[in-house]
Amino acid sequence: MSITLDQVTKHYGGVPVVNDVSLDIGDGEFFVLLGPSGSGKSTLLRAIAGLTGVDYGRISLHGRDVTEVAARKRGVGLVFQNYALFRHMTVADNIEFALRVRHMRASHRRERRRELLRLVALEGMDDRLPAQLSGGQQQRVAVARALAHKPEVLLLDEPFGALDAKIREELRRTIREVQRELGITTVLVTHDQEEAFAMADRLGIMNLGRLLEAGVPHELYSRPATRFVATFLGAANLFLARNGAEGIHVGAATIASHEHSPQPREHEVVAVVRPEEVVVAATPAELGSRFVAQGVVDEMVFAGALERLRLRLEDGSAAPLLATADAAATPYLEVTRTQPEQRAFELHPGQSVAIGVRRVHVLPTPLSSFTACAASSAAAETLARQPLLAELAARMKTRIGIRPEPQLGASAAGPEESAPFVGATVISCEPQAAQRAEWLLRHGANEVLVLPAQATVPQRVLIHWMDEAVRPATLAVSESVLRHVPAEAEYVGTLSREVAQELARRLSEAPGQMLIVGVSDLARFAERFSPLLDGGRWPVLVVHRAPS
Amino acid sequence: MSFRKPNVLPGFGLTFGFTIFFLSAIVLLPLAALVLAAASMHWSEFVAMVSSPRALGSYRLSFGASALAASINAVFGFVIAWTLVRYEFPGRRLIDALIDMPFALPTAVSGIALTTVFAQHGWIGRYLEPLGIKVAYTWLGVTLALTLISMPFAVRAMQPALLEVQHDLEEAAETLGAGRFYAFRRIILPTVLPALLTGFTLAFARAVGEYGSVIFIAGNLPMKTEITPLLIVIHLEQFDYRGAAALGVVMLLMSFVVLLAINLLQAWNRRRHARAAH
Amino acid sequence: MAGRLPVAAALAVLQGDAATRPGQNTWLSALVRWLFIATSLAFLAALLIAPLVTVFAMALERGFEAYLVSFADPDTQAAIRLTLITAAVVVPINIVFGLAAAWAIAKFEFRGKSMLITLIDLPLAVSPVISGMVFVLLFGLHGWFGVWLQRHDISVIFALPGIMLATMFVTFPYVARELIPLMQQLGNDEEEAAITLGAGGWMTFFKVTLPKIRWGLLYGVILSNARAMGEFGAVSVVSGHIRGLTTTMPLQIEILYNEYNFVGAFAVASLLTLLAVVTLEVKTLVERTGYRGR
Repeated sequence: MSITLDQVTKHYGGVPVVNDVSLDIGDGEFFVLLGPSGSGKSTLLRAIAGLTGVDYGRISLHGRDVTEVAARKRGVGLVFQNYALFRHMTVADNIEFALRVRHMRASHRRERRRELLRLVALEGMDDRLPAQLSGGQQQRVAVARALAHKPEVLLLDEPFGALDAKIREELRRTIREVQRELGITTVLVTHDQEEAFAMADRLGIMNLGRLLEAGVPHELYSRPATRFVATFLGAANLFLARNGAEGIHVGAATIASHEHSPQPREHEVVAVVRPEEVVVAATPAELGSRFVAQGVVDEMVFAGALERLRLRLEDGSAAPLLATADAAATPYLEVTRTQPEQRAFELHPGQSVAIGVRRVHVLPTPLSSFTACAASSAAAETLARQPLLAELAARMKTRIGIRPEPQLGASAAGPEESAPFVGATVISCEPQAAQRAEWLLRHGANEVLVLPAQATVPQRVLIHWMDEAVRPATLAVSESVLRHVPAEAEYVGTLSREVAQELARRLSEAPGQMLIVGVSDLARFAERFSPLLDGGRWPVLVVHRAPS
Repeated sequence: MSFRKPNVLPGFGLTFGFTIFFLSAIVLLPLAALVLAAASMHWSEFVAMVSSPRALGSYRLSFGASALAASINAVFGFVIAWTLVRYEFPGRRLIDALIDMPFALPTAVSGIALTTVFAQHGWIGRYLEPLGIKVAYTWLGVTLALTLISMPFAVRAMQPALLEVQHDLEEAAETLGAGRFYAFRRIILPTVLPALLTGFTLAFARAVGEYGSVIFIAGNLPMKTEITPLLIVIHLEQFDYRGAAALGVVMLLMSFVVLLAINLLQAWNRRRHARAAH
Repeated sequence: MAGRLPVAAALAVLQGDAATRPGQNTWLSALVRWLFIATSLAFLAALLIAPLVTVFAMALERGFEAYLVSFADPDTQAAIRLTLITAAVVVPINIVFGLAAAWAIAKFEFRGKSMLITLIDLPLAVSPVISGMVFVLLFGLHGWFGVWLQRHDISVIFALPGIMLATMFVTFPYVARELIPLMQQLGNDEEEAAITLGAGGWMTFFKVTLPKIRWGLLYGVILSNARAMGEFGAVSVVSGHIRGLTTTMPLQIEILYNEYNFVGAFAVASLLTLLAVVTLEVKTLVERTGYRGR
């Protein structure tokens, strides 16, 4: 491995900007770190270069642990976003700088410089000053300068940011060629997904300081594991679908996906449908089994090779299909059609169409949506507006359902057959919260989030599971939560004292903490968890899986 | 949180240490000596020193003339800054460069030159004499000298602010139906106000402590044309260190008040900008 | 040069273009413009230009020969020598301090930074008389170390060391003040690039930082030098005015002026005025080379 990152973590002012990143980058690989601004990708790159220290974790280059090695001794080449050329030095002096530092003989320096200038196609520019070059040429010099001392790793920090489209294209090709020719391991940071696709052997996507997924571009595009990657890498429609025995139910359609594993009990999942996988036709019959719902063309935009459509789902009951945080907003479906598709079926705004899907991809995320549950619908609606819940739903781009449950927490068994609980069920922190949580868990809820009215986005998430049977589920839910909040995870191991008291004590130590706890045994649940849940001041997410 | 954010550049310890050491040795310790010298006096003695009729007379002149000079500079500084920023005319660049002259020119030179020009038979003094206006050796002369030496501070404080009042802001006001003077009063003046006040304060601060240029033109009559810094020098020449230190502390306090005012003004200005940006 | 645009726009409006705009009161614009320029010029002429011209007029009042003869005075020559020596010692110290302070302040984030900047600016807010007096209180005959110094036969006050200390106090902030904003604006990118390329601290400083701040440094040095040579109040307090020994050029001007030797006084003054002119010239040049921009 050329670059190995092991649990690299870096804080600024108490906030983790790089959060527990582990990654292996192979020899000669062109790796692209992609993420929105503020996702921590540049900080991670600077950490690899040694310009930023790390608070935790190790960094190795070619098997050598360089975590404590000074930047000047790491042997990396870094290309800065603003070039950072030495403005008072000529192109030649800039490129030879690293060689002078290493006391290389003048004749050797000259030779190396010629070689590098040829590589970046800037022959004869030796005596120019940076100010006399165009932006693209300056960046070429910066690349040549970074390569002069034959570094083992080349790092590029948004190197095309300040350039216009045409030059950007050209420079991309140059850098890719240089990289192939030298076979140098390269890491490029960008926020432009098109650029990432164009250059990457492998791609890593960062958000909120975490490396969410890494993989080959087309794999990540067609089979993302997280909502963020699904929506950040190209456009995506997120559906709340049901995974059942016969396949995946999206609206009226049942699609047998190859990812589908028959589930004994139907449960809600998040399904990704790319705009190019949506089909439209005049009638459901023309679509066949893929018919999802009826829709209306809301907007049509000509975009060259493709046509972009925005469809409004017509049927009121079909609206909850689409995962959006804001229940009041009309959910739209994004569709792209190729020229042949356009010619085959011409559309105009306002036209009613049948909508179908060709292919769905189910995200392995365990948290599909939230359902605010309370004894009255008014109380449930108030709960749905709780700041942390609203924030989480917005970040997860998912829906908050409302579910009045008059029997909630009643010890006497009510009518047993009610609709199944979907997604994570949310109840408020009240004196009988433990009792209510137990009632919900016994009535089929898999995850119950107990929320105090004032809780906000946590800075630290404590994670604990009561026994091994729920460990995988607890970890999966924790990962899903941590992808959406810039918080640190702390795994709470075996506890000596009474578990609930001990957890409550830890939570009371500092504000801004949240607990995710996995349970499999529901016996005496309310009694055991009363100190943790009843009138607590912290959010607790209970994950329940029956032991198999 | 640690004292300093980590950074790969070396040399923080060396340069920070040297800075603190040198600052302490040359500036802070000597100033502390002044404060201690005054503090070692008995309170009543201190009060007697700093409130003697002669001291009070010198404050009146020093602070009064400085305030007057700073006011003159606020008005004329605005006019000059406006002229330099808004109008093109032959010699504009030269004038712009000359504004800094009082800053680079030794005060003794300003003092003797100004006195010569405004003396009874000087180039300008001779025309003022028949009008019954005496400048040299009066409080008027003191004000004039202080106006000269504090002028660059006022002009330079206002120039960037006026540059910032984009012309399109005025044009926008005009298209919205505002008249020219209305636009000036409601758009330009409020935008420039913090800079105007900063300019006034900086000019005042510079003027209060001035010594070199004033003593030549002042006449230096006790109670009439004697500024506080001169009174300090007189105390020192009589080896009355305690009296000098007492007056020095009064002036030092004045400097701190002015520094504080400048910092507050700048914070106010930044807040206004921050709000405008939102 | 973002500032040029509104100026250009203003000019276009206030000059010829005004006629093309409907409803514009052209003669009023012209009047306002004329009034502003005239007021500015009159104010500056009386307060600034007249005294400047006077310096040279008075120095040359008795002809060029008399002007030259005034420099033959041994006391005047001693004053010039003393001023040069003082500047030669003080300015290099200021350069070292200014570079160190600017490096620490511009390149690093630490607590109390704005406090440190305020303290560095402190000498600018303090009356020059106080700047001199603090050293008299410390090292004068009745000062804290006065007796000790006298016993060891070291003179600070009324001698060269006192003059240098007072000058240092007064001129202390200039180089740092010029460099701090410049270095902050230029950023750390080039230094970081040098370090990833393998350069050490000193190498980075001399090869990368120093060349890019050289114009700002030059102006800071020239300004600090002008202030060092021209300081009057602080030096006056510590010098003792011993003719030919502890009299610097500004003090020599005072002595000659008080003796009604106007030609001699203004002759020395003309030298310092020329120095001020050169200082401003350098400032204009440095600003025109655009060292502040990229």
